[in-house]
Amino acid sequence: MKTVEQMISADELSEFARQNMEPDWLIEKRLLACEQMKTLNFPNVLRFNYRNWQMTSDLLAWIKSDKNLLNCDLNNNSLVQFGQTTLSVNLATELKQQGVILTDLFTAARDYPELVHDNFMTKAIQTDDNFLASYHAACLTSGIFLYVPDNVEFKEPIELNLIQDSTQVSPLVSHTLIVAGANTKFSVIQQIHTKGSQANLANAFVEVIAQENSHVNMSSLDELGENTLAYLQRRAAVGRNAHVNWAIGMMNDGDTVGNFALELNGDGAQAKAKVVAITKHRQRVGINTGIKNVGKHTVGDILQRGVILDDSQLVFNGIGDIVHGASGSESEQENRILMMSNNAYGNANPILLIDENDVLAGHAASVGQVDQSQLYYLMSRGLSRVLAERLVIRGFLGAVLTAIPLKTVQQKLIKIIERKLADGHESD
Amino acid sequence: MGILEIKDLHVSVTDDETQHAKEILKGVNLTIKTGEIHAIMGPNGTGKSTLSETIMGAAAYQVTQGDILLNGESIVNMPVDERARKGLFLGMQYPAEIQGVTNAEFLRAAMNARRLEDDQISVMNFLKELDKNLDLLDMSEEMTERYLNEGFSGGEKKRNEILQLMMIKPSFALLDEIDSGLDIDALKVVSKGVNAMRGDNFGSLIITHYQRLLNYIVPDVVHIMMDGKIVKTGNAELAKTLEVEGYAGLRDDLDLDVALVDEN
Ligand SMILES: Nc1ncnc2c1ncn2[C@@H]1O[C@H](COP(=O)(O)OP(=O)(O)OP(=O)(O)O)[C@@H](O)[C@H]1O
Ligand SMILES: [Mg+2]
Repeated sequence: MKTVEQMISADELSEFARQNMEPDWLIEKRLLACEQMKTLNFPNVLRFNYRNWQMTSDLLAWIKSDKNLLNCDLNNNSLVQFGQTTLSVNLATELKQQGVILTDLFTAARDYPELVHDNFMTKAIQTDDNFLASYHAACLTSGIFLYVPDNVEFKEPIELNLIQDSTQVSPLVSHTLIVAGANTKFSVIQQIHTKGSQANLANAFVEVIAQENSHVNMSSLDELGENTLAYLQRRAAVGRNAHVNWAIGMMNDGDTVGNFALELNGDGAQAKAKVVAITKHRQRVGINTGIKNVGKHTVGDILQRGVILDDSQLVFNGIGDIVHGASGSESEQENRILMMSNNAYGNANPILLIDENDVLAGHAASVGQVDQSQLYYLMSRGLSRVLAERLVIRGFLGAVLTAIPLKTVQQKLIKIIERKLADGHESD
Repeated sequence: MGILEIKDLHVSVTDDETQHAKEILKGVNLTIKTGEIHAIMGPNGTGKSTLSETIMGAAAYQVTQGDILLNGESIVNMPVDERARKGLFLGMQYPAEIQGVTNAEFLRAAMNARRLEDDQISVMNFLKELDKNLDLLDMSEEMTERYLNEGFSGGEKKRNEILQLMMIKPSFALLDEIDSGLDIDALKVVSKGVNAMRGDNFGSLIITHYQRLLNYIVPDVVHIMMDGKIVKTGNAELAKTLEVEGYAGLRDDLDLDVALVDEN
């Protein structure tokens, strides 16, 4: 079998991009990425082997999705994409007047060429970051662009809803680019789920460029279907005195590789990455969550919590990377996995790469069973074992739940968690 | 009226490492009726906590002989939660901490656990009851919004156990050293809580090392336990005698062959 980089020719790729009326620079970027694919490797997820996963597709096609298959309510400040089709964009007039841009990425590439050109896969994620990043850039078929100009603040989160169209064969190769200007303050909630049960791959990226003194609150709620093989890469480039908090609810039902990183490039930058994951049945999920301290006096904090059921596998790698020169910086991390089944396999690895003396770094990791004394205590007050376990698990995952700014999304995540727990099987 | 009967109870624990079973309780007999308060005193390591944990159903304790009857029904094979729903409550010497679950939420779940599906307590009634009890125990409302026991001081945990007791209203409460680590004001408050529960529908077994607690919660019956057995039973005066004589004196009076921890 030929690999995808052998299947896709440069001619075919540029013809494909032209059909989409893409500017030349973007087409060149695709071609370059296609070239880069030939020499790059898959991202390394320590203690997680996914070498035989089919993470790319040679199907290059512009595919329409039928919006009548969906019934979704459209909120203010939201964008909904179904497969490659943008179904709706809603942005409050007030935000439009302040210069906020919310649109699909290809429209943005035509209408705001400098903004997209300067920020798309240049500052946070590079096309030669790894093989799957170059594949992503070459074969991109959908995307979202959010731009918040300097000094703009708003409370109501922007909601980005991606629905993978698995009513048909159609790989989801999607890129969300968020540019937060200096002194901005806002929240974004991205939800991804799958419609239909066709086996498909998802290759979805999010880039956040957080400029000086911006405060960006990101929440990602992933709920891809069990027949979706997913590669999710998310990265933020955090500027001077900027803060990025990112909460991720990894609730996919299918096999998934998550590659999350926040780079504290500017002095005084701060980031928090919080990840919860539940795995069940024979699902396999490997997640890298990293924070890189580059600027001086930067503060990074990673918190990962997972619950594993049935025969599933979950690997959490927490990567704290303090580069030389990042003096006065801090790197904290905690990775914990709760085993609800003896057949499940969990791995929580703190990885500290420190090339600077004047720093504070700490880590904690554990893989263990539900605390029996907690269960006993709750049951001694009359709570059934099932309810007691639910409460203990919810408490265990609580730190991430509370980081999500919208109560409705928080509730939704709790519901998904409950459903996953009820659906999976626990065994002693 | 309820009745809790412990009959010739023998209990062993198995050492995790050596897999050796060790007998802790060696034939305990005890009957408590609702309306009565019993106190158990005894030297360290004698089996008092073992007795209360075994009645509640903690997994570590194996009943090798004898029986525990609640209102005539044997409960030794019942899971912990079922025993609780039948009316037992254990105020623990070391309550667990549970993050992410608020005290209030937990209290409601516990109260609802013993009610029927279509008869769950309303928020209004719950809050009314909660306010009343917080008031009596001199606790702030803020305590109920905190995570269950998480970061509570030793005294706060004990107060919280009594709050649960008052909300859940069991028919029998086993209270294991609810007085340990309490300052004198907290001791009075906790005692007030237990005394408020006193009545025809409530019985209690109070484990304590200190006669002082029994000045506040005056027991109807006092038992002395040594080496896994109840060696003497009397009225409230017995605790006072003990305070004067100590366990060694009592042992010698009774002519028992028991080693006490702090002798040699
Ligand atoms: N889970 C257990 N595993 C092993 N040994 C145990 C366990 N529980 C109790 N024991 C042992 O049983 C004996 C009685 O312990 P218990 O806690 O019942 O004493 P106690 O009378 O409550 O003492 P104290 O006054 O110090 O609280 C002790 O020797 C103790 O080490
Ligand atoms: Mg004890």
